[in-house]
Amino acid sequence: MYFKNRYVVKAAGESGQGVNSIGEILAKAIKNNGLYIFGYREYPSLIKGGYASYQIDIADQEIKSSSKECDLLMCLSRVSFQMYLETVRENGSVIHSIYKLTLSPEEQAYVEKNKIHIIYIPAQDLAIELGGKRIMSNTIMLGAIWQVLGLEIIGLEAKIKEIFAKKPDVIDINLKCLQAGYKYDLSGLTRAVLKISEHKNFKDDLLMTGNHSISLGAIAAGVRVFYAYPMTPSSSILSYLASVYHETGMLVKQIEDEISVANMGVGSMFMGARTLIATSGGGFDLMTEAVSLTGITETPLVCILAQRPGPGTGLPTWTSASDLNIAVYSGHGEYTRCVVAAHDIESCYLVTQHAFNIAEKYQIPVIVLTEKQIAESIFQVDHMPKDIPIERGLLSDEELEKAVSADRFKITESGISPRWLPGSCDATFDANSDEHLSDGSLTEDAIPARQMYEKRIRKEESLLKELPEPEIYGSDNPDISFVGWGSVKNSVIDAMNILADYSDKKIAYMHYEYVYPIRTEKFIKYAKTAKKLVLIENNALGQLGSLISSKTGVLFKNRLLKYDGRPFFIEEIISYIQDKE
Amino acid sequence: MTCKSCSSNKTPTMKDFQSNNLFTWCTNCGNYGIHTALRRALVAKKIPACQTLNCFDIGCNGNGSDKIGGYSFHGLHGRVIPMACGATMANSKMTVIAFGGDGGTLGEGVGHLVHAIRGNYNITFVLHNNLNYGLTKGQASPTTLKNMKMNSSPDGVTSELLHPANFVLSLESTFVARSFSGNVKHMAKTFEQALDHRGFSFVEILQSCPSYNKETPHEWYMDRVFDISNLADYDSSNRQQALAIAQDQEEKIAIGVLFQDKKSVPQIEKQPNRKDIVTDAYEETRHYDISKLLSKFR
Ligand SMILES: Cc1ncc(C[n+]2csc(CCOP(=O)(O)OP(=O)(O)O)c2C)c(N)n1
Repeated sequence: MYFKNRYVVKAAGESGQGVNSIGEILAKAIKNNGLYIFGYREYPSLIKGGYASYQIDIADQEIKSSSKECDLLMCLSRVSFQMYLETVRENGSVIHSIYKLTLSPEEQAYVEKNKIHIIYIPAQDLAIELGGKRIMSNTIMLGAIWQVLGLEIIGLEAKIKEIFAKKPDVIDINLKCLQAGYKYDLSGLTRAVLKISEHKNFKDDLLMTGNHSISLGAIAAGVRVFYAYPMTPSSSILSYLASVYHETGMLVKQIEDEISVANMGVGSMFMGARTLIATSGGGFDLMTEAVSLTGITETPLVCILAQRPGPGTGLPTWTSASDLNIAVYSGHGEYTRCVVAAHDIESCYLVTQHAFNIAEKYQIPVIVLTEKQIAESIFQVDHMPKDIPIERGLLSDEELEKAVSADRFKITESGISPRWLPGSCDATFDANSDEHLSDGSLTEDAIPARQMYEKRIRKEESLLKELPEPEIYGSDNPDISFVGWGSVKNSVIDAMNILADYSDKKIAYMHYEYVYPIRTEKFIKYAKTAKKLVLIENNALGQLGSLISSKTGVLFKNRLLKYDGRPFFIEEIISYIQDKE
Repeated sequence: MTCKSCSSNKTPTMKDFQSNNLFTWCTNCGNYGIHTALRRALVAKKIPACQTLNCFDIGCNGNGSDKIGGYSFHGLHGRVIPMACGATMANSKMTVIAFGGDGGTLGEGVGHLVHAIRGNYNITFVLHNNLNYGLTKGQASPTTLKNMKMNSSPDGVTSELLHPANFVLSLESTFVARSFSGNVKHMAKTFEQALDHRGFSFVEILQSCPSYNKETPHEWYMDRVFDISNLADYDSSNRQQALAIAQDQEEKIAIGVLFQDKKSVPQIEKQPNRKDIVTDAYEETRHYDISKLLSKFR
């Protein structure tokens, strides 16, 4: 499928060949030239070998999702050529540096059928002839891509100079290599036709991943402690926060395991420091006992749960949205919690900030779900959103003077009891994981135990009133009414924008950002008037669908579910809308 | 932290660390003595109750969480150490003490002990070593003597036992002490020394358990313990000497500070990016401007 004003370039090679650097340089240079990009990375769970790719979708308006097919494939290795050849669309092009590449009969057939142009560039030889090193062949390939994109070379040269600013002796040779690629004879290849916008200063646009945005949101919200144990796709929160900790002064610590991460998080939050913890599904499994602990001790906790496919180790470096159930149902016992699902830069930034307000005000655990597709993909935005005011739900100084120990877990209508920090008041208390009275003293008596239990559960009702309803996008009178959460929003909205030019099908999409406790008033109306209600999720069981059905009785007969580690590509949504009735 | 409601700088008393809740430990349980000694040590060190956080594991010791004044956190079985480490990292001004049994500490949560020692977090950790799982009614723990018949091992424990003090001394610990639940005075003095230490203070209490440890009761310990400070030539800065003396747990059991590294630097002071920051993390909650960080993304 070809879409007007969308062009897709994919750089592919072995892990360790520099595919990621090529992608990053390209993405920034393309953006600076007046275009919108979305960067999507695929890579294996190993350090060298296998196949990896960095795909850049280019458009003349904001985009947040990837195409399945590309217009230009640049390949550095045989394995990646084999892996990605069939993602090249009809009349597409391949440039590669694979010495003596011969095609298998299947590959040959695909190339002929789809009229794909393939050009070999002896990039390593060229780099050495020019007096450079083998690795500079990557710069030659960059230049060649730039030629196909038909963009002015100055834009890319500027980026190269910036990148090698600290190694001035290699700038000249890299610029020579860039020129060599840019001038290389690629006659016969279809050139990109890009619609460059000149109405604003694209240089100021930001390119960042969801994990960057979560980190920045945390910094802005006054998070002063971060604990984590590395696990893809959450790890880059740890590495980013560590990389800026001299600037921020944040305490950033890698801890020995997720059990400790969660319990240290509980300890630091209990004392009053805004503390973030982050992990993926397997690590979150280890944290769930601590999540339950926060339920009864009424300690705020915020955990980022960056999803990848499971069970077990699953597909460590691929995407998924299959951990909604553990976010909602994990941890023994019954207590109030909040589950929020981010989907793009703005959402990651704001949801992280809001999560702390909710956690502190309601004294509950808040789990922020993301997916590899959000955590590690590269989004373009022109600015960061406005910060949410910090709300801590702590007693004021005057209130503190009157506080008594039995206030701390006092039975209230809202379920929310007064909270103050250890050390701030001589009304001391016991934050007790055994059932307790209002000062934390242990009790096993039926009546007070039940009252305390109900008090904690009442918080859910209070919280629900504060949480926003899901948003609806698109047509008021849709032929198809989607319901989803997480990164699917990005793909559906992009698909809707594209479809507007090609089809008169009317589409609506309802997006759940605040997933639990779940608001359903708006959904019930939406479902009632829907001609065709479709659940769309990046998992196999339709976990949000089950949650909605359990609360509303509405069943989803139509489901578009994907669980192969890949995000929804726009073509898939468009074919679904156009073909399937 | 300054307590906003403290009426004056009055000297703390035993009463400040009292609670009206009734004790639920067995008659003659070693926990009574430990509890009293702790209160004495806190008073002797003039630590106000509102500046004390006692963190309890789940076990018989943990049932004391609401029987003492000051702030308490009664968390999960085996997880008290990371919880307490997190607390002191956020607020280094408060005195953080953690208590755990031999089951929770050396079974369920033994990894946490190792890493808290590596990190040298500034807490006092008290190991209630009663050689069994008390609260679950007398199963074997990692410190139960081999061949001992317990309710989970009617023909005797088949694994080797773990010597807590030796284990901890074999790591880069900075403070290792031992005391005995039958000697309140010695425990109180040992706790004071532990509270003075800057870093992870490990205090093993040889604790009698009248209900489930008939093999080594109070009297058994009484006959064997001796105060290390009575040894003229004992050098507590010598780890090898400490390891040698800690080894004997059968004939003559040394109590007191077995080892201390006086140059110990706690974890919170080792943060390379916080050298010039005088506040603690808990005091730093406010909006931070991220605009300076954005140039990297352009
Ligand atoms: C995760 C978990 N597993 C098991 C238990 C049950 N449990 C409670 S206390 C305890 C053992 C207590 O032994 P120890 O830690 O030596 O403390 P003591 O009671 O002897 O002081 C166990 C197994 C629990 N609370 N949590």
